[in-house]
Amino acid sequence: MSIPGLGEIAPQPSPSTTRTITLRPFWEWRFQVPRSSSGPGVSVRLLSGTAERDGTELALNHNYTFARTKSKILTYTGCSLEVSGEVEDYVAQCAAPEDTPMLSYLNLHFTLQTQRRSSSGGRGRGPRVMICGPHNTGKTTLARTLAALATRMGEQPLVANVDPREGLLSLPGTVSAAVFGTIMDVEEPTGGFGVSSTPCSGPSLVPVKLPMVYYYGREKVEEDMPLWKDLVTKLASSVRAKLSSDDAVRSGGLVLDTPAVTAVKGEVEILLHAVREFAVNIVVVLGSAGLNASLQTILENEKTTYGEPITVVLLDKSDGVAERDRDFMKFLREAAIKEYFFGDSKRTLSPFTQSVGFDDVVIFKAPDEPDLYNSHQTLESAEITAEMSHWTLAVMNASVNDPPETIQQAPVLGFVAVADVDEDRRRLKILSPVSGRLGNRPLVWGRWPEPYINLLG
Amino acid sequence: MADNAADVAEDYRQALEDLTVNSRIEIATLTNIARENANHGLEIAEVLQNHIKKVPPSRTLPALYVLDSVVKNVPTPYALYFGPKLYSIFMGAYTKVDNATRRKMDEMLKTWKEPVPGSISTKPVFPIEQVRPIENALMAARNAAFAAHQSSFQGQQQLLRGRAPVPSRDTPTPPTARPYQPPLQGQPPFPGPNGQYPDAVPQQQPYAIRPANGPGVIPHRATPQPVGSLPPYQAPAARDVYGTPQPGISVDKLKDNIQQLIVAVKAEFAQDPLDTSKQTRLKALLDLQTIIQSQEMPQDQLMIVRDQIAEIAVNMRSQPQPRPAVTAAPGVAAATAPHPAHAGIPYTTTPTPPVVSQQPTPVPPAAFAAVAAALGRPPSAAAAPPPAAGGGGVSIDSLFGKGALATLIAGAARKSATPQQIPTPTPPPAVPQPAPAVVPLRSPPPQRLVEPAQPAGVPSTNPSALLAMLRQSGLIGPSATEPSASAVPGLSPAARFPPAGTAHLPDTSLQLKPSSLKIFRPQLIAQLHEDLGPPCTQCGRRFKTDDEGRRKKTAHMDWHFRVHQRITEAEKRGQHRSWYVDELDWIRSREAIDTDYVAPQDLSFSSPDFPLDGISGTAGSSAAAAAAGGRGTSSSPSGKSQQSQQPYLAVPEDSSRVNNTCPICQEKFEMKWLDEAQEWVWTDAVKVGDRVYHGSCHREAAGSMQHRPTPERVLGKRKAEDDAGGQRGKLKVEGY
Repeated sequence: MSIPGLGEIAPQPSPSTTRTITLRPFWEWRFQVPRSSSGPGVSVRLLSGTAERDGTELALNHNYTFARTKSKILTYTGCSLEVSGEVEDYVAQCAAPEDTPMLSYLNLHFTLQTQRRSSSGGRGRGPRVMICGPHNTGKTTLARTLAALATRMGEQPLVANVDPREGLLSLPGTVSAAVFGTIMDVEEPTGGFGVSSTPCSGPSLVPVKLPMVYYYGREKVEEDMPLWKDLVTKLASSVRAKLSSDDAVRSGGLVLDTPAVTAVKGEVEILLHAVREFAVNIVVVLGSAGLNASLQTILENEKTTYGEPITVVLLDKSDGVAERDRDFMKFLREAAIKEYFFGDSKRTLSPFTQSVGFDDVVIFKAPDEPDLYNSHQTLESAEITAEMSHWTLAVMNASVNDPPETIQQAPVLGFVAVADVDEDRRRLKILSPVSGRLGNRPLVWGRWPEPYINLLG
Repeated sequence: MADNAADVAEDYRQALEDLTVNSRIEIATLTNIARENANHGLEIAEVLQNHIKKVPPSRTLPALYVLDSVVKNVPTPYALYFGPKLYSIFMGAYTKVDNATRRKMDEMLKTWKEPVPGSISTKPVFPIEQVRPIENALMAARNAAFAAHQSSFQGQQQLLRGRAPVPSRDTPTPPTARPYQPPLQGQPPFPGPNGQYPDAVPQQQPYAIRPANGPGVIPHRATPQPVGSLPPYQAPAARDVYGTPQPGISVDKLKDNIQQLIVAVKAEFAQDPLDTSKQTRLKALLDLQTIIQSQEMPQDQLMIVRDQIAEIAVNMRSQPQPRPAVTAAPGVAAATAPHPAHAGIPYTTTPTPPVVSQQPTPVPPAAFAAVAAALGRPPSAAAAPPPAAGGGGVSIDSLFGKGALATLIAGAARKSATPQQIPTPTPPPAVPQPAPAVVPLRSPPPQRLVEPAQPAGVPSTNPSALLAMLRQSGLIGPSATEPSASAVPGLSPAARFPPAGTAHLPDTSLQLKPSSLKIFRPQLIAQLHEDLGPPCTQCGRRFKTDDEGRRKKTAHMDWHFRVHQRITEAEKRGQHRSWYVDELDWIRSREAIDTDYVAPQDLSFSSPDFPLDGISGTAGSSAAAAAAGGRGTSSSPSGKSQQSQQPYLAVPEDSSRVNNTCPICQEKFEMKWLDEAQEWVWTDAVKVGDRVYHGSCHREAAGSMQHRPTPERVLGKRKAEDDAGGQRGKLKVEGY
């Protein structure tokens, strides 16, 4: 799109910000791009050696741009990186590989790989690993690393996430699963787990991943434990079906990311549910000896549905785990919603807006007055009010005539955002990723994540 | 309740969609509709504006004629509505159309400055200050191209003819391939000499209304158009043409940039022919150009080249160059003003140095690079045929550093997918390690050992010696890797790691115990790197060098290539997120590795008990597809077969040569964007012989008993659609 004379070289970032960082084996370059930074983020180029972000190798001499993220580049063999742009960073050194938990993660991968290899000969079951631990212990990062390392070696692991706080290939407030048989998007803020990596109408530079998504609509598992358990069961049954129908995925096994829990009894219950549903045979506990102990005692005598023993192993958390405060998490959520509709820096998406009458859409929500004594709450029809503005609603893959329970546990088709509610004219303005009337698809209005005011602003 | 304004707008939009050729009657009809619905003028104006914005280039001109006609025949209110947006509409269209259309647009623009023929009013169609920014922008664009022309052919007789034969390159539709227009032909007379615009100061707002320019004329809209709504090409000058994080690099653009640099360097060289450094640089650039033009290069190589080019451009800019104002002055003015609207250089008949002498502005040092940057597509440097790549001592290496040329050529060779040309695993560059104590953890593949950097010939068969060496170098702990054969339960290392090497470090048994996991096993590192083969230069994924690996790599590179190809197209068209799939589809889907992901189609929609008429998106009704009995999986072959069932026809290139109404029912074919096909199609259309029919009509007429492959609903004729509310996919609003 340029006509003669309308293009111009803009000033390059001054060369002083470009520097070269040399890492020795098992060193990490940890960085965070300030949220306030107006620029495109930090640009990293691998000059020599090998390096990776969360298990996915960087290509040599390729410019990677990282925006709004806190992450790290690790090398197993030593490397030098060229870095430019606004970034807060430091190099985490270690005297010997044994000093860093990265070594255990790497060895963990090879342990899993052994199981995969021994299983694929007999078309057997690959390892099902659950990763758990308290807040900020690097659970998701480890899950991503294990998945990426497996993918790198030609496996097709399934990754599932039952932590509604962060969506896997989906918006927050959901539980989901996907097969990762192709390289992950290194540049994406969540390293390939973000909503940017899901299918679009056009081609994609990094292969997309196809998730299976269920809508929970709340932040914490405790807020509606029965529903969460139902959805986990539902997700697990989809995963089981997938594993049994796809040999490559079955031998690749499962990597399961979980909500942050501590050793409190009620919370351990959450994990046990996941362990049983997903037939987990390896439980990795990050950075909590207490949790490790209680899981050990409970799972010691249990076997998976396939009769395998369950191994619980405690690993150190990385000292480089970035603290992500509430604000940062909120920022990430809003960014995810925005990316879902509008794409990211690599790909601009054009969502569709449509105006629909109140009567042309069917919106459900969880009851306002939760009945604490009735364990199973179902959905009720929601009255459309101005309060609904800016909320993101889930479009369910069900029919409006289905019973509420079915709708509640139906897979998610996608999300729409309510841009505006005109109560006088009884019309809604809806932002939708795909054109077309929402006619017979029920929408579900969750309670979380909170509305994103500036979506259309 | 039907929304009247929305309905009108919707109808109008559909009518516009049907306008494919420059038909006077249709345009008159559209004008009349606009006149009759003047009370909904704002909506209609918006619809028309959006239409112009998104129609394919071939249909832009008719749409613009509608605008022209509407504005001239129904000036109130339409001139008011379009006026403030005129610049963005016109320039947006101008950038995408071909040269013939551009000439037509120039003519149209000219009429906008005059009163409507035959009208009593003496006011021009659009107030002058709405037309002028457009003129200025076009002028600046031409001047910039002209300056390039001039500076590259300076001193050559060719130039004096003013209309040098422009050598054509094989780039698609280079704008400069348009014959350089003789100024007085097809070119609106420029109102006044250069001095008329004393405020040729860089300004960000293109059409902030400047009192100095439009004295006495009250602008129709006091508020200038928000910058945000401007098309991207006129974003402020700070916009980086190189540095924006666009993943794909347009080779054409790169070629252009190199071309521009060559032009610039050449001029510099001409000025100081004795300077060998300039000579070197010029030669290197020409070499580079040859390479780029003759070979397909992977993205990352392009990226390197691009970065280097950008750097050179910047360097040149920073070199203070006392340049004679002769060559570049017009271009400089155009280039240094952030918005072309201010580059008020008169367009004179003789594009020779006299022009320049009117403009003895001191040229800022940055001018040179800026000129290069500002040129859209300067004439190709046919004057100086590039020497053979890599010849002589001065080469790309001198420009980009040692080995760059080799890398480029190697990359290009790798790119070509014939197996023979896949290079033998090139040893990755050694890690430059400043500290001598650090040993690169790199071993030749046959030996699964970490060995200190030493001549490759040194036999390293003695594990304990090696261990000692490693320990000495501090790479492994003192006792961590001591042989401890007792700790091998069941799994022997050799069983897990194919016996590729002779020497194995002992104790490689991995156990799911924290203590075992904390032991460093150097040989594992190689399994993630060298053992997997050399990495793809574009994404870092590794492929083995055996037959299977080579096959995979070929498929992989093909995939990269296809994606790059399609991405440029897709960017023009606009994309959207697809729906997720339902359980059955998800379970049936198989990872598409190095094949294109094909979203489940919604074309196999045939289950009556699943009445989801609403979602017509890409993956929308995959649920129904699955419910209908398992045709719908997301694997690509079945996607394609479903697609082929769908009776649609790509809209013919030249629709005037094909009937665009069905001969049976006399209704027009409905044109629709079909995501799956990635093109505009006539839905429910079949071609029989030379004629196109509605599939349904033809079947009925022919009395064919064959099954309808799809039920009524899918992409049917408009009349068959459930159109209540009229909202299906028709309210796409751009520009969010």
